[in-house]
Amino acid sequence: MKAAMGRGGVAALTVAMALALGVATSVGWAAPAPVTLGVLTPLSPPGDTSAGQLIVRGAELGVQYINTAMGGLFGGKNGCTLPATPVRLAVEDSSGVPERAVAGFRRLVTEDHAVGVFGAFHSSAMLAAAPLADEFMVPYISTQASAADITRKHFAAVFRTHPIDPDRAATWLGFIQAQGWHRVAMLAENTDYGIGLVEATKALIAQKKMNVALDAVIFDRTSSDLTPQLLKFKAARPDLLINVGVGTPAYLIIKQAHDIGLFPQTPMLGSYDFPVRAEYWKNLGPTGVYLTFISYYHPRMALSPLGKWAAVEYAKRYHDTAIYSNLNAFGDAVILAEAMSQACSRDPRKVIAALERGRFDTWIGGGATFPRADGVLWHQWSPPLVILQYTQAEQTYDQAPILYPPSMKTGTYQAPR
Amino acid sequence: MDPTLLTQYVLAGLVIGGIYCLMAVGITFIYSVMKMINWAMGEFYMIGGYVQYVLITAWLGPQRWALALPLAVLTVAALGMLVQRLLLQPMFAGQLERLDEYATIVTISLTVLFRNLAVVLFGPYQFSPRDYAPPVQLGPLPINGSRVVAFLGAAVLLGLFALVVRRTWLGLALRSVAQNRLGALAAGINLSRIDMLAFGIGVGLAGAAGALLAPVFLVYPESGALSTVKGFEIIVIGGLGSLPGSIVGGFLLGLVESLGSVLISPSFRDVYGFGLLLLLLALRPTGLWGEQAREA
Repeated sequence: MKAAMGRGGVAALTVAMALALGVATSVGWAAPAPVTLGVLTPLSPPGDTSAGQLIVRGAELGVQYINTAMGGLFGGKNGCTLPATPVRLAVEDSSGVPERAVAGFRRLVTEDHAVGVFGAFHSSAMLAAAPLADEFMVPYISTQASAADITRKHFAAVFRTHPIDPDRAATWLGFIQAQGWHRVAMLAENTDYGIGLVEATKALIAQKKMNVALDAVIFDRTSSDLTPQLLKFKAARPDLLINVGVGTPAYLIIKQAHDIGLFPQTPMLGSYDFPVRAEYWKNLGPTGVYLTFISYYHPRMALSPLGKWAAVEYAKRYHDTAIYSNLNAFGDAVILAEAMSQACSRDPRKVIAALERGRFDTWIGGGATFPRADGVLWHQWSPPLVILQYTQAEQTYDQAPILYPPSMKTGTYQAPR
Repeated sequence: MDPTLLTQYVLAGLVIGGIYCLMAVGITFIYSVMKMINWAMGEFYMIGGYVQYVLITAWLGPQRWALALPLAVLTVAALGMLVQRLLLQPMFAGQLERLDEYATIVTISLTVLFRNLAVVLFGPYQFSPRDYAPPVQLGPLPINGSRVVAFLGAAVLLGLFALVVRRTWLGLALRSVAQNRLGALAAGINLSRIDMLAFGIGVGLAGAAGALLAPVFLVYPESGALSTVKGFEIIVIGGLGSLPGSIVGGFLLGLVESLGSVLISPSFRDVYGFGLLLLLLALRPTGLWGEQAREA
């Protein structure tokens, strides 16, 4: 009997200890579980895998900033009494393919329990996963996907920190007017990005009644030989050829236009900042000289304190100079963290509400907001755009002169001699 | 349409068509001898491009691209023979049922393996060696020097290939196996060795196409995907198993793509080839040079 009572006492003590441990955990004596931020980006072909790698680096830096410089989420900031909570990253590969993006988004939310997702680069992939963001009500920020429909469709959980088609079209049409050019050819891939840019450019020309004749041709993104279309453009003698290829097609257009004597005799404008990447000169060599291209960042642009931190730490961590893809992915991670802190919650619905009503630090300054605005401006914040030109081989983008806008201009368009 | 412009389109189509031929001949050759379709042909094309790029940039230098070319072809051919010996030979040795399905599964698995290996070894980036030659003016068409080299290289390789097949003992053995495997075996030909050589030569041609086109179409893990599709289109257009059909089919496809994309729309460039394929299948189901056959 005595022995039996002893065993009962031991059992009771064990139950009491287990309960005590459970209570202790629930009141925060143990470290809180980290909050997961999801990155869904192209890391394998046919996506622009270089962009994906750069975005992941930026996201890793963002997590570093949140966990060190910000001291984690919550922890007394904004009057939030939740314990300081670290952030972790979960990465999924979209391959730039819609169905893979959908599968990746689902995994991030259901398996990794991501509170917010960012990192999109290809518009088609982003648009495919956007309805899922609404279904799960998990905020999904477009880091570099720019098709108008991403925000024009007014998804409740979708946001964007990247220039939209009208921003890009307005920039190059402004540049075209400033140069006094009138005949413009546009070779665009058959994706949401390419088609969206053709439509935005046509719409803006019509809306502003500009004296610009646009000859736009849409090509199949998987085509490897664009010589016939380029020969057609060469015969038409345009003032400018806008290259709306992404990844491999962007390079093929430059190479093949050069082969037939179209470029650089006819100026070419790259629709995004692929020339800032290291492989640009490796792939093109002297052929790449004289290209003008849209860029979202140039070292002459003033960075915010947040942007300066990112630039310095990026150089330390990766022994390389930060570019827009790094900085914007970094910025998206920090925006999500700030929204969680402002909401004092890791509940994705509350984070969405915080994103809609808050103002957030950005790498470029000015503060990002995501209002429920009309049309394409819904949940949209755009960083500034510049047009740069490579004027000599192996030039780095920070040495490239800024041609547009006039307020930042550091050089004029240089034609080949 | 301006006749000069039309001539340019035709020339551009013929140049690209000539390059397509190499890939198609490799596929046809393997099919003729081994009676199997190698779905990983595009990946051997991709490997040829990578080997050429590495040889030029890391070892030989851009001036010695012509030396790198045979090395790249031999490397791909050796890899092909190894693959045939380790993965495909057992299906013939064991006399498995459903050989076609076995070969399909093995070669499709190889496509996944090789693409992922390329990503692991070189990253997902595009690479391009320097052009092999300065631009050339062909009539009214300025052509990239590397394209001219690729076209001429394709012609030389196809000529050599025809010479081997028509004039050597090996060619005789290959043709006899292509005609009747059992008959060739009865005549004392070592089938497993001929299969291995045929596979090596076939993928070597794809590797040559990849190496020749490395500066033209860039090198990246999925660079072979489209080449495989084109190759299969061509062999069906030309007639399965017909080498002359593959060559004519290659030129036809190049022309149709070039003219279709400027006269109709470049958005459907790859559709024109399939349109031609469907049309030919409707009018002549065996392809241009194919022969009707009956199986007991």
